[in-house]
Amino acid sequence: MASITTWLESIRQDKASMIQWAAAVGVVLFAVSTPGFLSATSIRSLLTTVSFIGCVAVGMTFITLSGNIMSFSIGASMSATTVVFMMSLTLGLTPALILAFLFCAALNGIQGWLIGFFRANPLIISMAAYALIIGGAIYITGGRGIYPLTDETEVLKANLGPVPGPLAAFLIAVIVGQCILSFTRFGRNIYLVGTNPRAAKAAGIEPWRTVMWAYVAAGLFTAVSAVLVAARYRSGDMEHGIGYEYRAISAVLVGGTAIQGGEGSVVRTLAGTFFIALMQGLLILRGFGIEMQYLLIGLIVLAVIMLQWKGRT
Amino acid sequence: MTRRLRALLADPTVRPFAVLALITIILGIIDGSRGRVLSANTAYDVLQQFATIGPVALGLGLSMMVKEFDLSVGGVLSLAGCVAVMTGETNPVLGLLLAIAVGGLAGLAQGSIMTWLNLSSIGVTLGGLLTFGGLSYFLTGNTTIAFERLDVALAVNAPVLEIFSVRSLTAIFLFLVAAFVVSWTRFGRDLLAVGSDRRAAIVVGIRVDHILIAVFVISGALTAIGGGLLSYGLAAASPVALADTLVPGAAAAILGGVSLSGGKGRPLGIAGGVLVLSMLRSGLTAIGVPPFAHWIVTAGVLFAVGILDSEELNRRVYSIRHVYRW
Repeated sequence: MASITTWLESIRQDKASMIQWAAAVGVVLFAVSTPGFLSATSIRSLLTTVSFIGCVAVGMTFITLSGNIMSFSIGASMSATTVVFMMSLTLGLTPALILAFLFCAALNGIQGWLIGFFRANPLIISMAAYALIIGGAIYITGGRGIYPLTDETEVLKANLGPVPGPLAAFLIAVIVGQCILSFTRFGRNIYLVGTNPRAAKAAGIEPWRTVMWAYVAAGLFTAVSAVLVAARYRSGDMEHGIGYEYRAISAVLVGGTAIQGGEGSVVRTLAGTFFIALMQGLLILRGFGIEMQYLLIGLIVLAVIMLQWKGRT
Repeated sequence: MTRRLRALLADPTVRPFAVLALITIILGIIDGSRGRVLSANTAYDVLQQFATIGPVALGLGLSMMVKEFDLSVGGVLSLAGCVAVMTGETNPVLGLLLAIAVGGLAGLAQGSIMTWLNLSSIGVTLGGLLTFGGLSYFLTGNTTIAFERLDVALAVNAPVLEIFSVRSLTAIFLFLVAAFVVSWTRFGRDLLAVGSDRRAAIVVGIRVDHILIAVFVISGALTAIGGGLLSYGLAAASPVALADTLVPGAAAAILGGVSLSGGKGRPLGIAGGVLVLSMLRSGLTAIGVPPFAHWIVTAGVLFAVGILDSEELNRRVYSIRHVYRW
């Protein structure tokens, strides 16, 4: 009897990762048994599209880890960055790239400063930024897309040998992001601030600086996705990033990063992104429409959040 | 006289209405004698927007009053709209009731999960937002469903007494009921107690879990009424079209004096906040400002309240003043 209770207790302690492992293995087995899944074209197209969301999700991981739940404006700022990138292409590719990254980093960094410095509510500030970006974009572009007549962006569509370009960028983003979190003082500060901002302050860290730089990092990773999306569709359009904030936070949470912050990693987000992509690919191959994907992602996110229960107090 | 006026303006329920009067006067002066702002047409427009944003803002505001946050309103709104349109063909009232039941059940499920597993409302309702949004995609098969009863669509939005409509009258009725419940019933007092100080509420014997679940059920049902009537009025239900309600809803609620730290705000104040936002939107359109101004105004409101309501504003302002001797 006692052994059963200790066993149950051990599951309770690490139930989330156990269930996630079981789910991942199950899905992979199911995938391999699905006819046509391992064909190169289906996997390639899946990996390309998932990488765009993946880069944004890496950025969102920084926000979630720093204790600020999620950003509602990250999809809109990604769209706005595609517009800025395409509009500034007349200056040449390199200046346009620099502008795009600076723009996206600043856009998110300002939100991070407000959230960190004043301890303003991250949901409200990111909703405000969302409204501002949408309004500003309609003012500047008149709600239409930007289609420049250059093919300078073709460079960004190059593949790395057999690996699709966006996937390579996503994997590099994951490595860079994880290295920042694991091996730098900034990364450790993010965990500390996300776990307990007061303790971080007592330990001599200024939480607002960490929060602001976490948002800047989120902006930079989002810009990677923006540039790749703009190059792929050869346009800058506010439609590109619609819903990315929800897809990104889904990937972060499904990977097992805690919604209250301080616990998780970029590698977990990678796992979450691929898990969702695998489910989507399977549903398509088994003949289900996109509506089934939306429903299933919602249910998975709900289930993963329920796994984070803290027990009765 | 001024003292009484000041005391009146300090009342968080009166303040949004004072702001509303101020905005109306300013817009009226800008408009001059052209009569575009102070017209029955604009009033009807404002009330139509009130009917769209109002129920969502009320549901969200009630959840903020108990120091929680119901992110799922966007998903419930779409889901309720789809349910109403798909089941209300023969009997629209029955369709609306079904939609309300679905909304209430959505709130019940989320509230129960939250209290049972002791989870944060933001996490659970984020999952709820994605699930209910996904469910409406699933129900409609990712298409827009047309509502064949055009008579109902017209009746819902037809002007009543020039400025009202069935939709806006319903929203006003909901706010009045909510105001009565919060101010005059035991449930209302318990709700405010839970929002002000949850521990103290537990100590005095309030069943906090029950209050929280009830708030989320009410929030779901209110949002469902709004979503159902909105879809009837549009004569269509689509899983995507209704997604942009969370941001204006939150803006209206905090304009109405609801605080993210809980315990503050009243339904009538939220109604005032919704009217301010609607007046800004309709009034600016009436005087010919292009539609992007809606978004900028909403952003301004959210930024202002987000910063003014922040935890460390006073400390930061104090330190800036004393360190830099401003």
